[in-house]
Amino acid sequence: MLHRRIALWIACGLAVAPFGYAARAEEPPVSFAKDLAPILMQKCGACHDAAEANGGYQVVNYNHVIKAGDSEMPAVTSGKPDESELLARIASDDEFVRMPQEADPLPAEQIELFKRWIAEGAKFDGSDPAADLSAIIPKTTQPDPPEAYRRPVPVAALAFNHDGTELAAGGYHEVTIWNAADGKLLRRIKNVPECVYSVDYNADGSLLAVAGGTPGSFGEVKLFKPTDGSLVKDLGSMGDVAFRAAFNPAGNKVAVAGADRSIRVFDAASGSEEILIEDHADWVVGLAWNADGTRLASASRDKTSKLFNAENGESLMTYSGHGDAVFDAGFSPDGNLVLTAGADKSIHAWNPADGAKKGQIGGFGSQVLTLVTSGDKILSGSADKSVRQHRLEGFKEFKQYPGASDAVYCVAYHPGTGRLAASTFAGEVRVWNAEDGAEVSTFIAAPGYTPPSPVAAK
Amino acid sequence: MNRTSSFGRLAGIAMPSALALALCAAPAVLAADAAMADAETKLEQIVVGSPTKIEVFPESFKLDSPRRKLHLVVTGYYADGTHQDLTRACEVVSADENGARAEQAVVSPVADGNTQVTVKAGGHEVAVPVEVVGQQTPDRISFDYDTLAVLSKQGCNQGACHGSPSGKGGFRLSLRAYDPALDIETLVREAFNRRTNLYEPEKSLLLRKPLMEVAHGGGRRLTTDSLAYEVLHDWIDQGCQVDPPEAAECVKLDIYPRERILMRPAHTQQVVALAHFSDGTIRDVTSLACFSSSDEAVATVDETGLVVGHDRGEAAILVRYLDKLESSTMMFLKEVPGFEWSNPPENNFVDQHVFDKLEQLQILPSDVCTDEEFIRRVYLDVIGVLPKPAETKAFLADSDPEKRAKLIDELLERPEFAEFWALKWGDLLRIRNAKVTNSGVHKFHRWLVAAFRDNMPYDQFARELLTASGSTFVNPPANYYRTATETNDCTETTSQLFLGIRIQCAKCHNHPFERWSQDNYYGIGAFFNRVQRKPGVNPDEQVIWVARGGEVTQPRTGQQMQPWLPLTGTAELSGEDDRRDALVDWLVKPENPFFAKVEVNRIWGHLLGRGIVEPVDDFRDSNPPSSESLIAALADDFAAHGYDRKHVIRTVLNSRTYQLSSRKNEFNAEDGKYFSHAMTRLLTAEQLLDAICRVTDVPEKFAGLPAGTRATALPSPDVESDFLKVFGQPARETACQCERSTDSNLSQALQMINGPLVHSKVRDEKNRIRTLATSEKSNEEIITELYLAGLCREPSEPEMAAATRHIEKSGDRMRGLEDVCWALLNANEFLFQH
Repeated sequence: MLHRRIALWIACGLAVAPFGYAARAEEPPVSFAKDLAPILMQKCGACHDAAEANGGYQVVNYNHVIKAGDSEMPAVTSGKPDESELLARIASDDEFVRMPQEADPLPAEQIELFKRWIAEGAKFDGSDPAADLSAIIPKTTQPDPPEAYRRPVPVAALAFNHDGTELAAGGYHEVTIWNAADGKLLRRIKNVPECVYSVDYNADGSLLAVAGGTPGSFGEVKLFKPTDGSLVKDLGSMGDVAFRAAFNPAGNKVAVAGADRSIRVFDAASGSEEILIEDHADWVVGLAWNADGTRLASASRDKTSKLFNAENGESLMTYSGHGDAVFDAGFSPDGNLVLTAGADKSIHAWNPADGAKKGQIGGFGSQVLTLVTSGDKILSGSADKSVRQHRLEGFKEFKQYPGASDAVYCVAYHPGTGRLAASTFAGEVRVWNAEDGAEVSTFIAAPGYTPPSPVAAK
Repeated sequence: MNRTSSFGRLAGIAMPSALALALCAAPAVLAADAAMADAETKLEQIVVGSPTKIEVFPESFKLDSPRRKLHLVVTGYYADGTHQDLTRACEVVSADENGARAEQAVVSPVADGNTQVTVKAGGHEVAVPVEVVGQQTPDRISFDYDTLAVLSKQGCNQGACHGSPSGKGGFRLSLRAYDPALDIETLVREAFNRRTNLYEPEKSLLLRKPLMEVAHGGGRRLTTDSLAYEVLHDWIDQGCQVDPPEAAECVKLDIYPRERILMRPAHTQQVVALAHFSDGTIRDVTSLACFSSSDEAVATVDETGLVVGHDRGEAAILVRYLDKLESSTMMFLKEVPGFEWSNPPENNFVDQHVFDKLEQLQILPSDVCTDEEFIRRVYLDVIGVLPKPAETKAFLADSDPEKRAKLIDELLERPEFAEFWALKWGDLLRIRNAKVTNSGVHKFHRWLVAAFRDNMPYDQFARELLTASGSTFVNPPANYYRTATETNDCTETTSQLFLGIRIQCAKCHNHPFERWSQDNYYGIGAFFNRVQRKPGVNPDEQVIWVARGGEVTQPRTGQQMQPWLPLTGTAELSGEDDRRDALVDWLVKPENPFFAKVEVNRIWGHLLGRGIVEPVDDFRDSNPPSSESLIAALADDFAAHGYDRKHVIRTVLNSRTYQLSSRKNEFNAEDGKYFSHAMTRLLTAEQLLDAICRVTDVPEKFAGLPAGTRATALPSPDVESDFLKVFGQPARETACQCERSTDSNLSQALQMINGPLVHSKVRDEKNRIRTLATSEKSNEEIITELYLAGLCREPSEPEMAAATRHIEKSGDRMRGLEDVCWALLNANEFLFQH
């Protein structure tokens, strides 16, 4: 009802007059969360984040913003713009003093916002002054996906639902749900960021966790009801993309990993963050639970895989054997091996108890980007366009699944149906019968897209 | 004793002459600052005047893509023989706006067909036919030739940013795009499609970061209205494709103009770049090429290729398009008020080349130095030590007008000459115990001394070193391959010593500032990789031998490399020959563009204090010689005289240029590179130690070496001498002349003021002052003797008065004389070569 009335005002051209007039008469105070945090993230974040903190000044959260840097000049003096270094720096005429450096100065109206905010008392209007700026910026609904794709997009996220009949795939501002048997589009889930890096169903298929974001500036994880696409829970925002969201075997927790180097564990029902792990030095791109949900194995671009206690976040073991970026991780069914896929063109098997390498699977022509384990199977996809199955026993290759036309970004496996699916940079999804390699279905996960020629010439 | 207070009281003795030697570094720095400030100001308007004709480059052109533009260069020629760039001042009119459009001197295609543009300036008109094709078909962005060129031009892949070995902010590109295969992975597929957004290209991180729409540590590097943005955006929009295998390759970069001499008011010049492709097409890549200046105090160049001159002098403008590099030599002249050429006499061809350039640049050379200055200078330069007082007296008293030439000839035949020049080459050949063992040091050093003593032709010298085989004891030059312990070391050392090319960078990636590629590096290595080393009969001996097979593999591409010669290409060699012979055959040919130049430049650098190319072993387009004609003439003369090094040294020493005074005039005060005056410089470590020994007449004793061994005759730096180290004696770790430090530092001052070496020699019971004092010489006679020994001149009257007064006042004659001696050793006139 309310929405319809606003629409009516706008249609009648009325909205502008009353609100505009009100604004002139008494401007609303400047909001730190809504007005300033996005500017600070965009213009200052690269050089004043936790890792760099140039000049000893950090722009990570409100507490940082108001705190002096190495110069010890007060960054922000409430009510006194003239005694606030932050304002002095962004408003300076001297290009060696002015921030941001080597870039255009902030537009005058943005500088004015900072000035007015300080004059108005430099107040914090979010929930937690120690929360990252990205987390306090009010969220907006994500734009709609393309009605019909004019070209495919890379598919970096893929998952089977609980009974193996449906496949969820990452799209552009959406997740698409497909019939695994015939590749027909079933549903589309909106309010999703442009890049989807991970989809994961909970054990009974009632929830779908979607992780992704806008590279370089924003990340989020949301829980949807996959049957109708309704948003069940928003697990919050971060300053760069979320690479992975994974339900624990019981389905009541979601572990999240991202480009902000963190691993977080949320309660799926309440959406509250229970554990925060900041132990990696670079993006965390892969994450896996062990069978009883007590351990988490991570994969990071910092060239390590780590093992954590999933109940308290304690770091238990670090594996550095890849010597290069690690992209994905999995456990053997008994939990006695961690399997990791890396940029060193191989899969390593290592002992979570002592970090010792137990085996290495080579033979890949390029980086191994994705890996899942199930029973005695290790299923992987590589930038060399191959999808392979190895067996835990002896780490021997069991089968290759041909046909992928580009780098394989994600593989998924459903034990009940024995189906294996893989998605690629070129946007195709292929489903095989894992045991005999028979092709089940192949489709481009881009609704409405008509390929110039048949994708899969069988 | 308290030397500091003595120094204060005695400062008056030596300082007046020292003050005359003030160094010229500061004014040069100020000039550079001023030039940078000028660059900020607006361009001056061009006064077209009345040219007798105008020329347009290119004469005609074919535009074969909707994206391609043609940048014209318009030159006006004037009756007085000058010319200037009229590109900014001309009017360009298109014959058919529907065929091609002209804006300023830039022509853009509109529709297929033949048309022309007319360039108008100074009352002249020139028509440029333009053929337009391919406007109907969208032009695919070439990853290799557009995308990577843009990433280079915007600076993304430079060494300080994403081109660093570890990248920046988790994003790594190959340095200046030397590895396209790596870059395509990084840009597109790596990190799960993070950087390019195929669906909405404008939202790609690759664009949003440099636009500062997303926080970017590198700041703003891109604007949406630029060609760079268009290229990156369209490349993503076209699906981030790589070039098909059959696509044409860039085979040559052509730039215009290649050289210019501009007389103020003419001082700006548009430079354009044309890339030639293997399919015969030519693309104007001016907007994609990177421009830089070798000397920003003289001229700067902006990203459009517009060069702006700031000061008199020469600068090389470098144009880089991916792995292709070309340079343009620009000379900027202006009338200097009051300047009048003095027509100094020319002693030989050296002066002709130096003075021609000075006259052109309106720099007035200093007068010729005094005999006192000359004898000190020439002794230090040729034999490394100061003349004895008796030698100085005899020379000063000689009235023969040819006495300087005679002295030069005498010095070149002295044994100290060979020892002193062997010291210089000993540095480069890294002769030291750790490399060749103690026995090896002496054998190698003796060979080197003999080579200079007997004036071994330099081509033979190079051949003996580079093709050496056998025992390092029996055949000392074989130590060349003992100091260079493996193929890459041989490649780098040989390139630097005999080609003047610092090729080290190309080991891991294409050279960032030069034309040398990684392939070239390993191609040179193919001459050396068969050289093998094995232990000899004696424990310290090594035997160098050459295997009959073995090839070099380029580590990045995995390709086997053929032996490759700079500017020549792949060498065709039969299987089992010692490839080093072919290398030397090529090297010593008189027409070799590197070999003779590097050595004459090194000699010039030793004698004049600065190379014609400086640093002396760093020849590259981005580091041009201060006089191309001078270095070419010296090199030609060197080759024509059978690579006779003494001949070159003699020629330089006899030139008026060498003999100019270090005192400047108002028209050469700021010159630091055209040799208009002698360059003052601190004595080298060994020269200084020997000079102190000469003044005090107390020789230094080096452990393990015969008594009387001079520092300038040391076979290696393995003698433990703090004094020598402090004054920059190199440890001989590298084959770079730069290892010998020429910086001054506080430790040096402490050594001279209070150091044990100076102290012990000044106080020595048998030193010059005591010997003279006991032979009943007067204070005046002793002071004169000290001045002659240290400064090669007699003291002036005030100096003599101050010194004698000090000795009388000090109460202790010996102590007073010591003070005078000490003050002399601390005077700039003593410490410096001038």
